[in-house]
Amino acid sequence: MYGLSRYKLFFLLPGLLTLLAIILFPLIFTIRVSFSGWDAASPGLNFIGGGNYGRIFSDARFWESLVRLGFIATACVLLEYVIAFALALLVWHQVRLRRLTRVLFLIPMMTTPVVMAVIWRTIFHESLGPANDLMQFLGIGNVAWLTSAGWATVVVILVDVWQWTPFMFLLLMAGLLSLPKEPFLAAAIDGAGPIRTFFNVTFPAMAPISAGAVIIRLIEASKIMETIYVVTSGGPGTATETSSYYIFIRGLRDFQIGYAAALSITYLVIMIVLLTIIAKLLARYLVKSGA
Amino acid sequence: MPRLFRIIKTAAILGWSAFVIAPFLWALTTSFKTANGVTAGPTYLPYVDYEPSLAAWKGLFGSGAGSIDIVQPFAASMIVTLSASAISLILGTLAAYGLSRFVYKAGPIGNNDLTFFFVSQRIMPPVVLAIPFFLMLGFFGLLDTILGLVIVYIALLLPIAVWVMVDFFNNIPRELDETAMIDGCTPIETFWRVILPNSLPGLVVAGIFCIVFGWNDFFFAFTLTFTETQLLPVAIVSLNSSVTPWWSLSASALVSVAPLIVVAFLVERYLEKGSLAGARK
Amino acid sequence: MTYAIRNLTVADGNAIHLDGLDVELPASGVVTVIGRTLSGKTTFLKVLAGLQAVRSGSLVRDGVDLLNIPAWKRRVGMVYQQFVNYPHLNVRDNIVFPLRRAGCTPSEIEAKLTYVSDLLGLRPYLDRRPAELSGGQQQRVALARALVKDTDFLLLDEPLVNLDYKLREQLRDEFRRIFRDSRDRLVVYATTEPAEAMILQGHIIILHEGKVIQTGDYRDVFHYPANTIAAQVFNDPPMNLLEGEIAGGRMILGPSFETPLPAHFSTLAPDRYTFGLRATDLALGGDFSAVVALAEVNGSLTVLHLDLDGRNLVLEEEGVHLFQPGDRIGFTPDSARFYAFDATTGTLIAAPPRRSVSGQKD
Repeated sequence: MYGLSRYKLFFLLPGLLTLLAIILFPLIFTIRVSFSGWDAASPGLNFIGGGNYGRIFSDARFWESLVRLGFIATACVLLEYVIAFALALLVWHQVRLRRLTRVLFLIPMMTTPVVMAVIWRTIFHESLGPANDLMQFLGIGNVAWLTSAGWATVVVILVDVWQWTPFMFLLLMAGLLSLPKEPFLAAAIDGAGPIRTFFNVTFPAMAPISAGAVIIRLIEASKIMETIYVVTSGGPGTATETSSYYIFIRGLRDFQIGYAAALSITYLVIMIVLLTIIAKLLARYLVKSGA
Repeated sequence: MPRLFRIIKTAAILGWSAFVIAPFLWALTTSFKTANGVTAGPTYLPYVDYEPSLAAWKGLFGSGAGSIDIVQPFAASMIVTLSASAISLILGTLAAYGLSRFVYKAGPIGNNDLTFFFVSQRIMPPVVLAIPFFLMLGFFGLLDTILGLVIVYIALLLPIAVWVMVDFFNNIPRELDETAMIDGCTPIETFWRVILPNSLPGLVVAGIFCIVFGWNDFFFAFTLTFTETQLLPVAIVSLNSSVTPWWSLSASALVSVAPLIVVAFLVERYLEKGSLAGARK
Repeated sequence: MTYAIRNLTVADGNAIHLDGLDVELPASGVVTVIGRTLSGKTTFLKVLAGLQAVRSGSLVRDGVDLLNIPAWKRRVGMVYQQFVNYPHLNVRDNIVFPLRRAGCTPSEIEAKLTYVSDLLGLRPYLDRRPAELSGGQQQRVALARALVKDTDFLLLDEPLVNLDYKLREQLRDEFRRIFRDSRDRLVVYATTEPAEAMILQGHIIILHEGKVIQTGDYRDVFHYPANTIAAQVFNDPPMNLLEGEIAGGRMILGPSFETPLPAHFSTLAPDRYTFGLRATDLALGGDFSAVVALAEVNGSLTVLHLDLDGRNLVLEEEGVHLFQPGDRIGFTPDSARFYAFDATTGTLIAAPPRRSVSGQKD
């Protein structure tokens, strides 16, 4: 089509340039800073070569935080997926129930995660909070929610599941509603029960949407930080310290800006590579299963 | 068997619903407590377990001792969120229209790469940007200012707007644009007179996402502001670390999430109108 | 004054949609572009409208290459096969949209609106939204909007394809009436159906795989298809094509299929040929036999797909004749209606003497 060029630019450039300006400079700047030894004692942009990066190799705390992050993010996303799918399947067919539950389930997702985390902190307070009250009521006895490594992790996961299952629920529900009816009718005619129908019709048909939802949630979950900051402060010790939190401590608390910058870049690269691999794997799995 | 299934189903839904509401209920009762209702152990029902008081709620509006000013951070959050969302929506929708309708090519980079570039910004862990933003805003004297935050938020919200609107525009048949152009509209007029009026549902979704993500941000507000400008999430959390009574904490928290709960109801209403649910079945 | 299209190529990577097209269009009147699906009809129309980028070529009128003019500055109206209207406007605003863009005065707008809505019977619907109308009405609105402004081109891309049978017939007649007075613009009508082309009685352009196969007056094209492709595209059912030869004064089409040489083939040399015969020129009953593979009854017409020693023949006969697949029937070809095409190139070599088309006066 003739005469389109200036219009093309008019539409794309304002947004693109703005984004580039705001993101690109800081990114390049971070890379530059990562090659410096900027910290509280010696502020300023000097040049120490790959010193920071070398230090990362032997920084066990960083690598442990990555493993922890992997575990927590995977656990969160898996739980959210299973629960959301189950709830969506239960509610999918009945319109009124669907509406009611949709509002109810929508609410956690819309609230400010940090603010809810503050409330959760009071809930899991070991002597004054209702969580342990409930545990005693159930005959389990006091649980060291925030002072034991294992339980602290559980709390973090629980809070994330509370917050983000609705997101999965919405996505999966929209997906279920958009499925063609024919395969289900065919299954019913063939006399398939609910379980068989699920495994042979529903789940495969939902594969692309499931994959999309999981990827989106994984990306967001990998950034988890605020909840940890408020509820556990990465603790006890470093039990719930994820990579984001660790970098935050190094950079903005210990003020080792140069090192934190190097950590940031390394972390970013690892994340991009990992997430791209996972996305590609899921895509290939989808193609193979004939989606 | 179906009987058992129904019991399980009801139990599951009730169970999850209870889980969803629990924190709000807890915060609600706690906000009416005084020292007695808290220090002796968890209490639940007003008048039964403890003596309720409105002290926390009164204190919210900045009067008297031990009170918290919620109004200021609330207003600040509003200004920042709405401005950043508006700008992100405008720039993002324009870019999304371009990516949906035109073919861009700069060497090996094409439409899909550009869209990916926009959307992939969401992968960026905030912590990676926190330090450079801190340093750069400091350099321009924009630390602890509304403007500084708005600029940063645009970078966060623009990708969301682009992501939602590209998908939406792709679902509008191109023949509509073509007819407008044949009728004498330049591409800009086409966008403004024909496509935009038919894009309301998408804009609403994108707008809501932007507002929610913007309002709920804690990290950047936390690292980039201190005293002059305080956003709501930061204000609430800072209460957490000081020796603030639980009841004030709960009251403030409820006030801060209340607007969003209202939005949640409105969104559900809108979803049911079929515009977003996709299926008009 | 004509439009000269030279060497028009539209391609997308390796997929070629229009292949070095050369054709001339009159400045006014009706042109029917006919071809199979994917032959390039839509692409061609889009180039005329300015909506399609071209790899090479020119569209020249009075020495000016129109391809350099962006779509919004051309004077074109277009009707699509999927009824396209502005969903957010009512019918009145839909129709006058282009007039408002062009800056016409309110009185001009009112006058043209009245004329067009009366022409297409849309007066009662002016305040409704397109979504509230039926398919036929929506297409009329689209047509109204295309007609309301002064244009050089009025393009219609298979506009009746999504309408039901009755509506199609009705609108076809209306089209003929509306287009008849097209003295100041060129109507380009794309279709796959020869019947529509015959009803519109315009100038024909046959497209196949992005190239122009034949152009001409509709009667000439019908009677003298330039080659086997034109013969198949411009007939519905497609013309039967049989390989055969002329030898010993006879036309030999197969082991048990021979007839004496028809008079109009008398000058042809003995050789291999591809012979063509329309489905309507085969009659039920007779000495030749074939097996019914498929039998269709369309309204009051019977169409039989026959298997003649492994080759396919289509026979169309008036009236309803019931047969089952597997039945053996007798048929008679009207040898005076045979066409002969070159066996290698498919070009027309001999055509039957002309007579009026299905009884209509020429």
